Amino acid sequence: MESFLEIFDIYLLEAVVNGILLGGLLALLALGLNLIFGVIDVTWICYAELVMIGMYGMYFLVQYYGISYFLAAPVAIALVAILGALLHFLVIAPLLSGPPINQLLATGGVLFVLQSFATVAFGIDFRNLGIRLPVLAFAEMHFSYARLLAFGAALIGMVVVYLFMTRTYTGTAIRAIAQDRQIMALMGVDTKKIYLITSAVGGALAGLAACLLVLQYDVHPFVGLSFGPITFLICVLGGLGNFVGGFVAAFVFAEIISLGGLFSDLEWGYVLAFVFFIIMMFVRPGGLLARRQ
Amino acid sequence: MSMGRIARFMGGMVAAVAALGLAASASAQEKKLKIGVVYDLTGPLAGGGSELQYIGAKIVLDQFTKTGVEGYKIEAIYADAQSKPDVAINEAVRLVEQEKVDMLLGFYSSAQCVPVAARVEQLKKFMWITTCISSAVLEGRNLKYVFRAQPSGSQFGLMTMDFINQNAKAKLGKEPKDLRVAIIHEDGAYGVDVSKGNEAGAKKAGFNVVLKEGYSATAPDLSALVTKLKRARPDVVFHTGYNPDITLLLRQAREQGLKFQALVGHGAGYGVYEKLKEGLGKDVNYFFNTDPISIWLTNEKTLDPKLPPEIKFVGEEFDKVKPGVAIRSAHVGMAASNTYLFLTDVLPRAIKKYGGIDSEALRKAALDTDIPEGGTMLGFGVKFEGEGQPMAGQNDRGFPVIIQYVDDKSYVVWPKSQAMREAVLPLPAGTTYSNK
Repeated sequence: MESFLEIFDIYLLEAVVNGILLGGLLALLALGLNLIFGVIDVTWICYAELVMIGMYGMYFLVQYYGISYFLAAPVAIALVAILGALLHFLVIAPLLSGPPINQLLATGGVLFVLQSFATVAFGIDFRNLGIRLPVLAFAEMHFSYARLLAFGAALIGMVVVYLFMTRTYTGTAIRAIAQDRQIMALMGVDTKKIYLITSAVGGALAGLAACLLVLQYDVHPFVGLSFGPITFLICVLGGLGNFVGGFVAAFVFAEIISLGGLFSDLEWGYVLAFVFFIIMMFVRPGGLLARRQ
Repeated sequence: MSMGRIARFMGGMVAAVAALGLAASASAQEKKLKIGVVYDLTGPLAGGGSELQYIGAKIVLDQFTKTGVEGYKIEAIYADAQSKPDVAINEAVRLVEQEKVDMLLGFYSSAQCVPVAARVEQLKKFMWITTCISSAVLEGRNLKYVFRAQPSGSQFGLMTMDFINQNAKAKLGKEPKDLRVAIIHEDGAYGVDVSKGNEAGAKKAGFNVVLKEGYSATAPDLSALVTKLKRARPDVVFHTGYNPDITLLLRQAREQGLKFQALVGHGAGYGVYEKLKEGLGKDVNYFFNTDPISIWLTNEKTLDPKLPPEIKFVGEEFDKVKPGVAIRSAHVGMAASNTYLFLTDVLPRAIKKYGGIDSEALRKAALDTDIPEGGTMLGFGVKFEGEGQPMAGQNDRGFPVIIQYVDDKSYVVWPKSQAMREAVLPLPAGTTYSNK
């Protein structure tokens, strides 16, 4: 009993809180991907690579052009938003009426194009923004400000997207298109414009994630490999296109990683998370918050 | 014999001699050693040190391309392993089967070396490893054509434990049995091998190992590992990693308030000071790193006299490629030295003594290598284990050294015979990770 109680120490609490903060980061990443899938019914396999381009944008704006972080962030977000719109215009739109696998493969191709572009244009060096944020100490626990910022941004981003989708005309149109792509065009809604707006918003969310990730991670052409697969899994776990589901899934996933890693080897945390994912795919194939069929 | 017939005979002789001469000349021109060179020029390992190794090898290969070796032209064909073991295997096979190279040279990552060495052995091609250090590449495999002058990973792990053991009482004020150590490593062939050496060294020294754990170098979060380290309260952290996992771990360690008395790294990411400094800032001060000695830190007086000019040459050429680097990475010198060793010792012997450059001649020449300490730019000697020995192909005389980064300079601090200064141990009070 005593040894059982020993595990309930301050470090367990720290791991729980760190899991929540990691969840915030993953939720932020999942937000844009979910939006795109929910509306356009296309999965941007290259989503994490858009984040990578945004991180490079931040790096060059802050380090080379000496622009302050807070001024650089909107520019980087706008840059990735434009990139998102371009991705839709150049790659997705021509394939929209084709089989879904074509769109998936096309965005997979864009993933390699962006990685190679970054390698050629920026080199293989790891680059660091060089901003050292202070550390938040509470009791004997310490937390990362960068993670807290990401957590806050994920919450705000979630609320803003929710309000945008429910309180604005464009948002309503987006939701309507998500429900029935064909019928909305017959009712006079410019679907092409809505798709483009959605892609830009999805890109902007990738840009927002980039602004926060660049505070914690080195930028290099392959940084997307660390986040791409896990973001995709979270979106599927939450139910592709389901914002709230994605949000919840991010925190569940992060807690399994954090606590699994604390009680066993770090890698077992990831293994447990993936096992959980597989089981849930059998139990709730539509996602964590999907209604039972 | 009429004059006409004599003239025709003489003419025929002249033509024959000329033809033979031309043929011989053409044959001499075709004497060429084609070397397939494999490093990672893209992907995470490129920036983690592999590109620097490539630069070091290329400087020396370019040098000998101009002069040739014992009448043989040297032609290097470069391939990018893209930081992926499967690509490394495919490129090695492509170089052998399609580019028809005579041998392979290079290889940064142990995760690539292990499968590539087995494949190249099947193809009966000579493989000269300049970098990857995992024992798993050679241990118990009895490979005939694979050679590595580099010390092995377990030697790295043993060396660092010995260093702390010898200094535990005097500098850390603790008996070895009271010293709490943590062994953290990336989970590839390289990290696992070094950690095995660490574990064996800790057992030998009688340290209290409070945590031993591996992690994936591409893991997006290491905070749970940091929390465990905090709970384990190690005095010394022994870490083996590439980059950017090193910067991620240490950044999260700072943010979560991890404290210790010393951090000892084992090559790879810890060998690229510029990147450590960029990622961690002043926190990198007083970190230790284990690697074969940087060729620019070796004591010239202890070296073969022909080596210092070569070291100077490599340094000058490197500065042209990467001007303004504060500390020239040991990675560059490692590849340069091991390539130079092959081109000046093994290859000439294969040609002169064993009559050519086929795999058998190169293998025999490598097994004949017998260089005393001070005979390579890295300071160590060379004698390879032969067939039937536990680590066939491994240089028995290789050894790493421990350096410490102090105020943007690196100093050899261990072994004592090579030490440039006393180690600063423990971390001075007031530094980010100091538990004082």
